[in-house]
Amino acid sequence: MSNIITSPSHAAFERTTTKWGSLTLFIGFLIATSVPFYLLFVADADVNLGEILKGFLAVFAVYGVFYIVEPLTYFPILGPAGMYQAFLIGNISNKLLPSAIVAQDTIGVKPGTRKGEYAATMAICGAALIHVASMVLFVGILGTWLVSIIPEPVTLVAKLYILPAILGGVTVQLIASLRQVKSTLIALGAAALVILVLIPLVPVLASGDVAIVVIVTIAITWFTRNKAMTDKKGPSDGDNVGIN
Amino acid sequence: MVMASGSADYLGLANAPVLWILAMAVMGVVVVQSLIYMNAVKKNAESAGMSQQEVKSAFRAGGVAAIGPSLSVVLVAIALLPLFGTPPVVVRVGLIGSAATEVASASIAAGTMGSSLGDETFTRGVFIVALMAMSLSGAGWMISTLLLTPVFKRSSHKLEKVNPALMSIIPGAALLAAFAALTFRELPKSPTHVIAILVSAVVMTICLFLAKTLKQPWLKEWGLGISLLVGLIASYFAHYAGLGAPEA
Repeated sequence: MSNIITSPSHAAFERTTTKWGSLTLFIGFLIATSVPFYLLFVADADVNLGEILKGFLAVFAVYGVFYIVEPLTYFPILGPAGMYQAFLIGNISNKLLPSAIVAQDTIGVKPGTRKGEYAATMAICGAALIHVASMVLFVGILGTWLVSIIPEPVTLVAKLYILPAILGGVTVQLIASLRQVKSTLIALGAAALVILVLIPLVPVLASGDVAIVVIVTIAITWFTRNKAMTDKKGPSDGDNVGIN
Repeated sequence: MVMASGSADYLGLANAPVLWILAMAVMGVVVVQSLIYMNAVKKNAESAGMSQQEVKSAFRAGGVAAIGPSLSVVLVAIALLPLFGTPPVVVRVGLIGSAATEVASASIAAGTMGSSLGDETFTRGVFIVALMAMSLSGAGWMISTLLLTPVFKRSSHKLEKVNPALMSIIPGAALLAAFAALTFRELPKSPTHVIAILVSAVVMTICLFLAKTLKQPWLKEWGLGISLLVGLIASYFAHYAGLGAPEA
């Protein structure tokens, strides 16, 4: 890419984040994957390729479908730039998206707008730096000491209930921030039906449960939208807040 | 609870200096990516009518909101240290993946060798196979993101041209749907899961109400940390009152 000095534009933002986002994600992938290969070559362990393949295939059988389903589910929320951040850092539903929701609520912007996207990107950067600091300090440097002083019942409760304890609060803040009553009701109804009724009846769909709820909600919201309000707004309207 | 047996001879290996360097490099990549992205937003914010003050506020709000979740993830991650060693835990939990996914993957992979996490059957060889399976699985997410994002991007640009309103409706609806689904998925797990969700939701409602009525915007940023903490404390009492998840 040439060194043209560009004026502020969304195209420039997309160019930078696509180029550097994918490059950093790729480098992260290389380094992370080199860890077990290093061990394989230096360790004097009796491991053959067949055993590794078998171990991986067993894990793939459980999670393989998520490699496709999760990017598909989160793309409409994160946008292309956010994808490279989220799938480098992980902890998407328990850390990165909650941070984006809090930031959008704090400065009062909606997802689906340029400003909302930039706010989410900055929020994920803030969350990423806190994430790195906490991993390096409390896991890397102090981890072995902490594990010896924190009582096991406390770590057990954190492990079991961290996700529901985050989700309750985040969902409330999301609903309060978006103030889209109709979409909220559609989403809650779709989630209740799919998760509590459909999945127990058709367990084979379980790995796609969130994606099904997302698609159903988008479809119903779209087909029941108030066309007079939404369809006349142009893409240049930065504060387009969607329906309701 | 998983714990390594006292004679886990692979732990010295798992804490090798080379692995520490790789773990720190991985964290470095995350920092570099964030700095590049922050710079990209700062430079182009004007084009979306966003002031530098708002850019800073968004960054701070995101960071503050991440404190509670980060500390909770730390609690889970350190419980894995005796099993996998520090650098592998930093790489696996610090990059794509979460503590829960990694433990499940490791235990599935160990199972294929007739071994289980944390007991004497979890040998050096099993450790390497398990770590390999976790890493290759994490790589699956990263590679498919690298391949799929450009495809999704083209399709969404096309959709945006067909009907601009679509892209203003989809993100909000998708976000609501994803969090509604994730929350409902936790409900059937145990009464304590229900309590964790409800307590956290009620505390957040109070925080947001106070933030508005008392004009205390900081409560919007700290609300998540507060509701997470109170939710976990309530879960602690509920869990040890016998309402916990059956497998615990």
